[in-house]
Amino acid sequence: MSESLRHRRAFWGVGLVLVAFGLLALVGAGELLAQDASQIRRYGDFPVIGARGAIWITAQVHLMFAAFVLGVPMFAIVVEAIAIFGGDKRYDKLAKEFTRLLLIAYSATAIWGAMLTFALSSLYPVFWSYLTTIFGPSMWLYAALFIVESFTLYLYYYGWDRWSEGKAKYGHWGLGILLNVWGTIVMFIANGWLTYMMSPPAEVAADTAPDQVQLWSAIFNATWMPINIHRILANVVFGGAIVGMYAAYRFLAAKTDEERAHYDWMGYIGNFIAIGALIVLPFAGYYLGREIYEFNQQMGITMMGGFMSWLWIIQAFLIGVLFLAGNYYLWIGMGRIPGAERFTPYVKYMLVVLVAGVIVWATPHTIIASRDEIAAMGGTHHPFLGALGVMSAKNTAVNLMILTTFLSFMLYRRANKIPVVNWARSGTIAQGAALAIAAVVVTFYGVYGYFVTAIVRIGFSVYQVLAVLAAMLLVVVLDVMMLRGAKSRGEIRWGQMPPRSQYALFVLAVTFTWLMGLMGFARSGIRQHWHVYEVIRDTSAQAATPALGPAATMISVCVLIFLSLVAIIFWLGGLAEKPAHKDPADLVTAVSRGGEV
Amino acid sequence: MWRTNLAVAFVVLGTLGVYTAVANMIPQVQSDVPEELVLSADVSPEELVAAGENLYAGSGGGCTACHGLGTRAPDILGTAGSTCETREPGKSCKDYLYESLVDPGAYVVEGFQPIMPDMSRTLSDAQIWSLVAFLESQGGEVTVTGADFAGSDDGPPPTPADPVTDGDAAPGDIDAAALVQSLGCTACHAYGASPGGIGPALSEMAGLELDYLRRSIIDPAADTATGFEALAGTMPATFGELLTESELEAMVTYLAGGAE
Ligand code: HEC
Ligand code: HEC
Repeated sequence: MSESLRHRRAFWGVGLVLVAFGLLALVGAGELLAQDASQIRRYGDFPVIGARGAIWITAQVHLMFAAFVLGVPMFAIVVEAIAIFGGDKRYDKLAKEFTRLLLIAYSATAIWGAMLTFALSSLYPVFWSYLTTIFGPSMWLYAALFIVESFTLYLYYYGWDRWSEGKAKYGHWGLGILLNVWGTIVMFIANGWLTYMMSPPAEVAADTAPDQVQLWSAIFNATWMPINIHRILANVVFGGAIVGMYAAYRFLAAKTDEERAHYDWMGYIGNFIAIGALIVLPFAGYYLGREIYEFNQQMGITMMGGFMSWLWIIQAFLIGVLFLAGNYYLWIGMGRIPGAERFTPYVKYMLVVLVAGVIVWATPHTIIASRDEIAAMGGTHHPFLGALGVMSAKNTAVNLMILTTFLSFMLYRRANKIPVVNWARSGTIAQGAALAIAAVVVTFYGVYGYFVTAIVRIGFSVYQVLAVLAAMLLVVVLDVMMLRGAKSRGEIRWGQMPPRSQYALFVLAVTFTWLMGLMGFARSGIRQHWHVYEVIRDTSAQAATPALGPAATMISVCVLIFLSLVAIIFWLGGLAEKPAHKDPADLVTAVSRGGEV
Repeated sequence: MWRTNLAVAFVVLGTLGVYTAVANMIPQVQSDVPEELVLSADVSPEELVAAGENLYAGSGGGCTACHGLGTRAPDILGTAGSTCETREPGKSCKDYLYESLVDPGAYVVEGFQPIMPDMSRTLSDAQIWSLVAFLESQGGEVTVTGADFAGSDDGPPPTPADPVTDGDAAPGDIDAAALVQSLGCTACHAYGASPGGIGPALSEMAGLELDYLRRSIIDPAADTATGFEALAGTMPATFGELLTESELEAMVTYLAGGAE
């Protein structure tokens, strides 16, 4: 198929999607206009999917784009810094390539944000005016910062080549940092609104007039900070995953070895960052969970043991997929590293640990069971699975999975190097010992946890986590010192990756996105039939919180919309770089030579 | 190229499909909105109990998130209507149960954390009273009437404290069959028309040692019925306090004789 024909096709494809969206919007608008405007409407209606569905989709897709435009700039400045301070131009190109994608993603974020605002104000007018009464000033600030942020982004991208040398380059990097600062503040403000709905300050009651609510106390509510932190980390993960997916696609579509090498390398970095941040995400999750329990015990219990209990099993399943796909990608990747063969025999053991970990983690513990189910199961806890379902076993499993994944990365790093320092042998043994000791500590407390009371057991998870973190830190420090000036067993053959590895990157990105949707459902679903928990009741027809099945269908729809739009963005990004290909001097030739993170 | 696109689409849709399918295969629990309860002043006790049971078991009250799991909160099914008498001296069952729901911190059952939420934040007065009626029906007598909530929104009307009946009668005068019903043993044990299903049928205890039976009731953790090992710990340990000495003797004799 010729180049131009392909583009024409893609053009029509995109056009059709846009027209379909437009039509749906028009139908919606017509329906809204037809409603009786003479009386106060508490709730509006939306055709086909209903008001709740409309908010769900607009909010979720907006959030996915928001995560994208917050995660990718973090990524971009880190990569740019590597270029500046490490002197490797490759990284600079990579950072710029991300930023180009950002430009379009930015307008998508704004468009979906506007749709969400319209949907809220027309479908939930009374509640929306309540929120604006409390949060009005912060909303204006939000809008103003958004403008400043966009402008910073334009400068950052369009100034890239102009400010590329000397002091100007530092200035340019500073712009990137500013971009992140604005983005983070914008997110914090919006987080204030939604966490207020979840955990309103204690002094707010059902009869508190909205103009009596203090703006600051509304924003500084119990779950605000935990959500802020959780979201920052999750955005990094997400940015990495999406970048990985982009690279995977470009790798598969690449026509030259140079291109393949470049995108293979980019995919590796995306995966590295995504998995690296994923490893710390659970800690932020525990913090958030603890704050929820502290805010309202019942809310915590509804979340972990009430109607949402199955959700965590699905979550565990998804995280299992992430660990497996991430490691699978690394293991295949060893094929392109000279010297990695010597580690292949270990892969099967690591696989066993991972699979066992996933199984334990996905074992339910406290599930709402009916009287008949209890009778059938022969106990409130399953006779055999019950023992695996408790926190001790789960923490042990997840910590061992983290250690295993970490080991994969370390083997990867070591594969093509021969350390030259004279203590290399003992250093390696020390590293192995550190990991082994951590594994033993984790397992010991995991087993011991069965013989102590819950309160003591909770303390154990801290020791487990500390052991894992300490071991990882020690191993990395040793590794950095040991590999200083190491001899190479041969360059990494970037680009020599079987295509199936790239599909693992797709699975990762889809799973992350889906997981984000699921966690979004968990976070807003635990409010149940409340707009503002125990303060403002949802009296609309769709106040009931759906079960996981329908929720999952909604999440899949959101992910599909998001990924389709992302595909369009990638395609547009590709269009923009087309002329560059005519100029061989600008080709990414430099990349074909090796490098590592 | 179209092959690659197809493969990518396949992987993406396949992954989404698997997740959606898995989430649809597991048990589906929807969180319903508690129904607005409209009860007239002349509502019958049965209606009240039924409304309360719906709240208790459904997601409206959210009680089962804690109660009935064993360790998190006391088991109240089958027992709440009688334990209440022993909780706060001078306080009637009705008042105590009402207080448990709207001011749970006032009396915290020994051995538990004060995590029980104040239900007046989420439930209407009528709903709370129907719960009290339901709880009373679990081993006690339902004394809630429509008058308790019709018109008044300001807390429980002062009820004269029930005369505490503690005069011990001789075992022979005690109707053990009525005790089985009123203490709620039938919530778990098959007896008469009750299907049971959680503990062994009461009729199967015929011929067991009196000592063993006594211990099983006072301290269920001491021994475990064969075949019910996995359910050990489900039976409330509170019966020892609830039964007077003669009542316990009557019960034990009754069970040893085949519960008829
Ligand atoms: C967050 C967990 C939780 C929820 C939800 C909950 N409870 Fe409780 N409940 C407890 C705990 C713990 C206790 C024991 C400590 C205490 O007395 O406060 C208790 C005590 C009680 C008591 C007193 C029991 C006794 O033996 O004296 C009653 C009655 C009661 N709850 C009824 C209910 C009802 C009805 C609901 C639902 C509307 C409910 N609870 C929901 C945790 C909970
Ligand atoms: C919440 C459920 C529940 C209630 C209510 C309950 N039981 Fe049980 N009971 C069990 C279970 C489960 C077992 C078996 C496990 C065990 O032995 O601990 C059991 C065992 C017993 C046994 C021992 C039987 C054997 O063969 O060893 C006796 C006796 C008994 N119950 C009597 C009673 C009496 C009398 C009452 C009412 C006052 C009562 N139970 C109320 C659940 C219950």
